Amino acid sequence: MFNPMWLFYILVFPGALFCFVAGTLLNGLDRKVYAKMQQRIGPPILQPFYDFMKLMGKETIIPYEANKTVFLGAPVVGFVALVTIMLLLPQFGFTAFGELNADMIVIIYLLTIPAASIIIGGAASGSPYAGVGISREMVSVISFELPLVMVLLAIGKKAGGDGVTFSMKAIADYQAANGAMICQWSMIPAALAMLLVVPCEVGCHPFDVAEAETEICEGPLVEYSGAPLGVFKLNYYVKQLVVSALFAALFLGGKGTGIVAADAAIFYGECLLVTFFSMTLIRATCARLKVEQVFKFYWTVVAGLALVSLVLAWFGL
Amino acid sequence: MMNYVEHFPALATMVLFLGAFLVTIFGGKNKTLRIFLAMAAATASFVMVLCVAKYVIIDGNIITYWLGNWTPVKDYAIGIGLEVDSLNAFFALLVTLTTYLSGWYSIKYMSRDEGGDYYYTLYLMLSGSVLGLVLTGDIFNMFVMIEIMTFACVALTAFRNWSKGALEAGFKYLVIGSLGSTCTLTGIALLYAQCHTLNMAQLSAMIAKVGITGNSTMILAFALLITGFGIKSYAVPFHFVAADAYMAAPASVSMLFSGMVNKAGVYGLIRVCYIILQTMGLGKVQTLLVAVGTVSMFVGVTMALNQHDFKRLLAFHSISQIGYVLTAIGLGTALGVAGGLYHAMNHTLFKGLLFLCAGAVYYATGRTNLNNMGGLAKKMPQTCIIFLIAAFSISGLPPFNGFVSKWMIYQAIYAKSAQSFGYLFVTVVALITSTLTLASFIKVTQSAFFGQSRPEFDDVKEVPGSMLLPMWVMAILCVFTGVAPKFVTEKLITPAVNAVMSVNKYIDTMMGAGYTEKITGSAATEISAEQITIGNWTPVMWLVLFGIVLVAFTVVAVFGKSSRGYTNNSKEQPDNKHATFFGGEMATRSTVVGSDLFWGFRHNFKGYFEKLEGIHSGVVNDYAVWAIGALAVFVMYLNAVL
Repeated sequence: MFNPMWLFYILVFPGALFCFVAGTLLNGLDRKVYAKMQQRIGPPILQPFYDFMKLMGKETIIPYEANKTVFLGAPVVGFVALVTIMLLLPQFGFTAFGELNADMIVIIYLLTIPAASIIIGGAASGSPYAGVGISREMVSVISFELPLVMVLLAIGKKAGGDGVTFSMKAIADYQAANGAMICQWSMIPAALAMLLVVPCEVGCHPFDVAEAETEICEGPLVEYSGAPLGVFKLNYYVKQLVVSALFAALFLGGKGTGIVAADAAIFYGECLLVTFFSMTLIRATCARLKVEQVFKFYWTVVAGLALVSLVLAWFGL
Repeated sequence: MMNYVEHFPALATMVLFLGAFLVTIFGGKNKTLRIFLAMAAATASFVMVLCVAKYVIIDGNIITYWLGNWTPVKDYAIGIGLEVDSLNAFFALLVTLTTYLSGWYSIKYMSRDEGGDYYYTLYLMLSGSVLGLVLTGDIFNMFVMIEIMTFACVALTAFRNWSKGALEAGFKYLVIGSLGSTCTLTGIALLYAQCHTLNMAQLSAMIAKVGITGNSTMILAFALLITGFGIKSYAVPFHFVAADAYMAAPASVSMLFSGMVNKAGVYGLIRVCYIILQTMGLGKVQTLLVAVGTVSMFVGVTMALNQHDFKRLLAFHSISQIGYVLTAIGLGTALGVAGGLYHAMNHTLFKGLLFLCAGAVYYATGRTNLNNMGGLAKKMPQTCIIFLIAAFSISGLPPFNGFVSKWMIYQAIYAKSAQSFGYLFVTVVALITSTLTLASFIKVTQSAFFGQSRPEFDDVKEVPGSMLLPMWVMAILCVFTGVAPKFVTEKLITPAVNAVMSVNKYIDTMMGAGYTEKITGSAATEISAEQITIGNWTPVMWLVLFGIVLVAFTVVAVFGKSSRGYTNNSKEQPDNKHATFFGGEMATRSTVVGSDLFWGFRHNFKGYFEKLEGIHSGVVNDYAVWAIGALAVFVMYLNAVL
């Protein structure tokens, strides 16, 4: 029943350690490229790692108003959920827990948990800034949820052939047989929609209404310090990795090379590409939206794109 | 030789009614005696139903029990028969569990109210009637139980008649509830006129013989029964009274309403659609139920987002969750029924728990308005943790139970969407509803338990242990049914689904082997539901990971530097670094209250919300018009398509 490889999967690759290293690196590269686009030198690539280590050594101040258990527990729950998603995503032929045949519903709900953990943690801190922040975070979750669901259903219909499927494995198999999903012309609107869902899911500029440093002082994180803040920052890096990986698994799959290490390298390269196009590029060129604009944008433009693919997929195109 | 367990269905119902009468006679003066009598009745009934559940669900028997030993004569059922298959036993389990836990909770919770003997009498009458409803095999007996149930509900809704709106809510419930009973009675009368029998098994065989398609009397009866049970399950557009009733009733009664009264409606719909009239094979009937369910889901949750009363908000969530159940049951597939039943069970657990939390907050602070609360998490830490478990369960976050059942429901709906684009739309609505549910519970969490604490709550204390105990039991059940979905499905859900799917077995057990063949000309076939796959979510793996990370984090938290500032008892001045600042001055209160959250969402849906609020006018005449209008639409639709 118990397989010793599981521990390796959970702790090392593609679990906790890989998420930590790859996530901080991804964020470092993202910041470097972002700086170059603004003609700055930018921080060293290892800067997120230094930030994290520094925060772990700092004093943790728990505000008087806060509920201690929830305040400290929230970031950990978010991290665990993110790592779990990574374990369930197929990387070409390889999935850590492939025999579990995880499906998209699990992924959708697990993706809600990091957002919920920020919200609950922020709420537990008792600050009014956090109160404003969590309401905005929740609205942005509602915003991207509709297009995300529609994109996933479109892919499920496409990969399911005559029927429909929720299974990530079926989607990976379909791409191994028929080439990457993004090469199907009917799925291109869905891919565009998903590219726009990614930054909102991660919560990076211009969709960072919840954290908006210049308005509400990082919203839910305003009272956090020390190790819990460090874990929340880490969650942000890992979220960048995991959401890009979700895009890669859904749209950029394929046969792969058959060698796990090579596949993983290619997969990570794809994640970098997705990060560049969906986060760095948009971040460097757009100004922050207001919360009601975010909502409107996602439920009209992005959901519209996803709907096009959904209808096309339903007609078998 | 009859197994002694076979007497238990009848006895379990009777003991509750007996308890009600004893409380009236002896419990008027002595408080301890009446609590003892009520709890003895509830416990006895719970234990008996447990035995029945083991005998029926685990061992696979079906109990048939003719009251007064009036067995069928010449294949005609003349007496009242109880038939308990896995479906009945499943619902009976939910009913008695709710009754039992609510009884424990009531002891302290109702101790401040006058008229405890009336309360316990009505409480036992309500429980007995719902239990009788789900155990009976006779459709007129079912109606009698519905009547008792409705009037117990009305009286309990208006129980705190000194509070604002209680009498009004009771009156509304009376009007709409009677309308529902009338519909059910008329439907039963039409069936009786056609088939000359009231036994459900016999009715089912006879209706299968003549068929319902094209028979407009049958269709009218069917529409009336759907409306009648729809009113009892508070589906949209019959939901208006639910919000008022849940809000006005004491929390222990609101828990009964959402835990078993609306489950009785769901049970009735399953019985009518799957067994008695056997209409679920027809695509048009599926469309009707799924449409009602989908509208209930969305309207319920969006109305909930607009509420600022704790219990009223929960009431609208009940409507929304029942929408999930109806949608799942309306699909007509084994997976759909399994998801629906699983969700019905989960709804009993988490919604009951949420009402108990609302009751605990009311008991401690005397308030239910979310705009006047805040910071209770520090005063009531256990209630807060329990509330979070329940809120995550209803929002369907893994690894809690709501996730498992919603997952099954999504799979069932999505599988159907291969046939029709409409089901794709339903899938999207179901998923979005789940997110909106999370949003509205975030609002409750923020405005009641977290956020800035209020000076007037300084003396608030955690509720007593006898209230916390049932809450913890339900919280643990919420986690258990979420972590061990395979176990629950195998032991509890699959037998019930099999019972729903094998009509002919139901008929033959009641009326004697070979009866179906004699009446309908087709032999009874044992249909076993296809293997219900619930996906392969293994929360255990998640918990392992969680454990490892938690240990690592604890190490950092313990050995790292951490400071908490002063505690509640200390008189020292707090260090400023532990204070929450807002606008320069320490301890300035923010004016952000519960209703201000999600402005970004509401702003974009202004028109929709205005319209929706206009419909919920609060005038009972309008509500009756909606109910009758819906009946008319059902009749016309079913006549047109069948």
